[in-house]
Amino acid sequence: MSEKQLSKLFGLENSHQIDVYIEQDGYRAVKKALSELTPETILDLVKAANLRGRGGAGFPAGIKWGFVPKGVDKPKYLCVNADEGEPGTIKDRYLMTNVPHLLLEGIIITCYCVGIHVAYIYIRGEYEMVAQRLEQAIAEAHAQGYLGNNILESGFDLEVYVHRGAGAYICGEETALLESLEGKRGNPRLKPPFPASIGLFQCPTVINNVETLANVPSIILKGAGWFCQQGLPKDGGTRLFGVSGMVQKPGVYELPTGSNLRDLIFQHAGGMKEGKRLKAVIPGGMSSPVLKADEIDIPLDGDSLMEAKSMLGSGAVIVIDEETSMLDVLKIITDFYSHESCGQCTPCRVGNPWIRKIVHRLCQGIGGPDDIDNVRRLADNIMGKTLCPLGDAAAMPILSLTEKFREELITSLNERRQES
Amino acid sequence: MVKIRIDDRELEVQEGITIFNAASEAGIPIPHFCYHPAFVPEGTCRMCLVEIEGVPKLELACSTVVRDGMIVSTQSDRVRDGRKGVLEFLLAEHPLDCPICDQAGDCKLQDYYEDYGLYESQFSEVKDKHDKKVDLGKHLIHDQERCVLCRRCVRFLCEVTGTEDLGVFERGSHTEVNLYLDNQVDNNYSGNLAQICPVGAITDKDFRFQTRSWFLEEAESICPLCSRGCSIQIGYHPGFSRFSLPKRVYRIRAKTNETVNGYWICDLGRYGYRYLDENRATNLKARDSQSRIQWDAAVTLLSEKIKRLYYMKRTSRITVILNSALTNEELYLAGKIFQKDLTDVNIFFADAAPESGDDVLLTSERTPNRRGALELGFDLKPVDMDILSSQTDLVIIFGTHILETHSLSDLSNAMENIPAKFVLAPHTSDLDPMVDMVLPSTHIAEKAGSLTNIDGLVQSFQSALHPLGESQAEWQVLVDLGKELAINFKFYGQFSNPKNINREMGKEVPFFGK
Repeated sequence: MSEKQLSKLFGLENSHQIDVYIEQDGYRAVKKALSELTPETILDLVKAANLRGRGGAGFPAGIKWGFVPKGVDKPKYLCVNADEGEPGTIKDRYLMTNVPHLLLEGIIITCYCVGIHVAYIYIRGEYEMVAQRLEQAIAEAHAQGYLGNNILESGFDLEVYVHRGAGAYICGEETALLESLEGKRGNPRLKPPFPASIGLFQCPTVINNVETLANVPSIILKGAGWFCQQGLPKDGGTRLFGVSGMVQKPGVYELPTGSNLRDLIFQHAGGMKEGKRLKAVIPGGMSSPVLKADEIDIPLDGDSLMEAKSMLGSGAVIVIDEETSMLDVLKIITDFYSHESCGQCTPCRVGNPWIRKIVHRLCQGIGGPDDIDNVRRLADNIMGKTLCPLGDAAAMPILSLTEKFREELITSLNERRQES
Repeated sequence: MVKIRIDDRELEVQEGITIFNAASEAGIPIPHFCYHPAFVPEGTCRMCLVEIEGVPKLELACSTVVRDGMIVSTQSDRVRDGRKGVLEFLLAEHPLDCPICDQAGDCKLQDYYEDYGLYESQFSEVKDKHDKKVDLGKHLIHDQERCVLCRRCVRFLCEVTGTEDLGVFERGSHTEVNLYLDNQVDNNYSGNLAQICPVGAITDKDFRFQTRSWFLEEAESICPLCSRGCSIQIGYHPGFSRFSLPKRVYRIRAKTNETVNGYWICDLGRYGYRYLDENRATNLKARDSQSRIQWDAAVTLLSEKIKRLYYMKRTSRITVILNSALTNEELYLAGKIFQKDLTDVNIFFADAAPESGDDVLLTSERTPNRRGALELGFDLKPVDMDILSSQTDLVIIFGTHILETHSLSDLSNAMENIPAKFVLAPHTSDLDPMVDMVLPSTHIAEKAGSLTNIDGLVQSFQSALHPLGESQAEWQVLVDLGKELAINFKFYGQFSNPKNINREMGKEVPFFGK
């Protein structure tokens, strides 16, 4: 049976303050790591724990850290991706608001492991209060010797800085984040080179999501075996699922990786709102392909969702009821991606606004089934052909929605044509 | 070296190069907009997609480095469909105003549509409006609707001039290239932006709406306006049979020359093309003759006058004003005639005055062959007005640069009492009324020969344009004069073109024999 690691202090009064946090056994992992463990042992532990990235792509964190070249005569950096922009995703905000020190602990251990002395938390601009909390937490940690020079007399130095974004979704893409952090326009970089070798300021850089790092302390304290037991052997730990939409109790739920999606919606989130019937679920943030009501009996882990041709993404579950028009859902999706395309590469810059124009027209009842085919064709021309993952992120939900709800889209279109 | 296969070609290519470059070397074309050999690949236009065996997605040729054993397809159905999709996106919001676009006929969008498009348009939405006439500076207009956002212009201004005048603003479909705040693109290399723009987005104010690119012929030459010796491409209109055109040369563009100018030329060289057409001396003119005079008669007359002084052993009364815009071959011939055949001739040089250069291409020397003149042993003495006014019975002035260093009245006074005065120049000038005979000569672009640039690089070139009117290349006039003087007829008799002059020069002057 799993226990809550990330959210156990959620709701505790002043859980964001260092004294309260330490009272609840906080900073034990840092003490243990710095006094008892070598960086190599920590890396082995995290690799063995199969901690997969919580930001969307699900890349194993230990392997990512291992990519950082050793013995390079350059500073190395950790960038914490707190630019939580994927529509539906709210988990990192909860983490940083309630337990900023848990994130700091994860940062300290990660930096100690990889040999990093400067870390940046890139936080989305709208999270002003959260950014203040982080600043306060950093100041507290400094005052108590968990940050700064010679942390806990270990000889290890680390400074952590908070950097607020300016409201662009694309800056959550790791290389656009680096550009933005460097003070430039937030355009994704062409890869390779990958950030592990050439990242922030041309130096080796690790980029991890907030929740990923928040899992590190418990791996240190309880071991890799324990961590795997919390979730699946190949995808360890619990995950924070942000449930939104037409449910009784929208919110953030910490469940073991591999929990059932239906259970999440109908037990933890209290089921559908009164009188509503489930139509569809977007399981991992808006860019993940949509699941129909009869497809939700599925374990919430990366591999299972990939098998169902969707993705776990950021664990943001958006619940759509029968009364919501999928044409409107499509409109919201295309509005968002067309607005957030950085404009750098052709298929995303032109393709998304083109699709948006068609969908807006369909919403006014102008057009026919051919337009839906054309939307699919255009999404397919974006898919796999863009510089960064935003192209795919936009194309995937459009392709799945127009495939699975084609009949409904045509019906809505016809109804609107008669109305207008 | 690594072995790769591109389409059905087995290639052995250098390790570390990109698929694009490997394909280019093998002559396999890959469509592209943002890629430019002068810049690091950015991979944003997505047009250069290729298929690599074993790689699930289509990859970019411009940024993917070759690996041993790599099998690349540039023409598979997947590749063609991928490129077609990208091109369809590029053309979707494009204004398609080719009939009024200067780039038409020379446009990558048009070319690639022939290769990868030919589809029926499925775009039935209202197109986005952008500014179609952004004034970027003294030479350029930017049409944001035609722009494909390849960022070549932005990168040029960052990496070549360092002026960073242009940036990318807004995002998504609102993305546009524009000026930073109150900036203007007014550096001396701005004209390159119109040239590297792969579409008709940045156009040249000077060239806008003047002609259609398909009427223009292109010919190569060397820019004569400083001593860098940049390779240039002259766009000229061969004309129509039934009506005449106001001008012949419509533009000069950079020709790629990796050892000298790379991919660029400066604005001085680019916009200096007017000298090829304007104020040209096109007819021989003799002051005391009402009837038209022919070249052979003119050369004979000049030769008679020289010979008279030669027989009287008064060649020290001859003054020749040369310039270092003459080719190596011409200066060599001038040296032969005026230093060897005739002795004691006063030889001076009148050149464009030096001005400040920059650290990109433009040199402070504003003449193309100073180094050549030095290598040929000339000491490039400026004109001595005392000799000109009181010790000269015959003067031959090459070019008109003397007007830049001496006032008209000084010149006129100095020349007043010289009994025989000749000008051999490509342009009409205030010298013309002062002399007995005006002989029209050619520009570098109208003749063949070689020039020695500031670094001592000897570059030969062919004639790009026909000499205007009756004008003749100086080397031809000098060969004829040498023959006519008959002091060493056999020597000049062997020259029918600059190439054999060059060969002879190489035998005699080791610098040119390399």
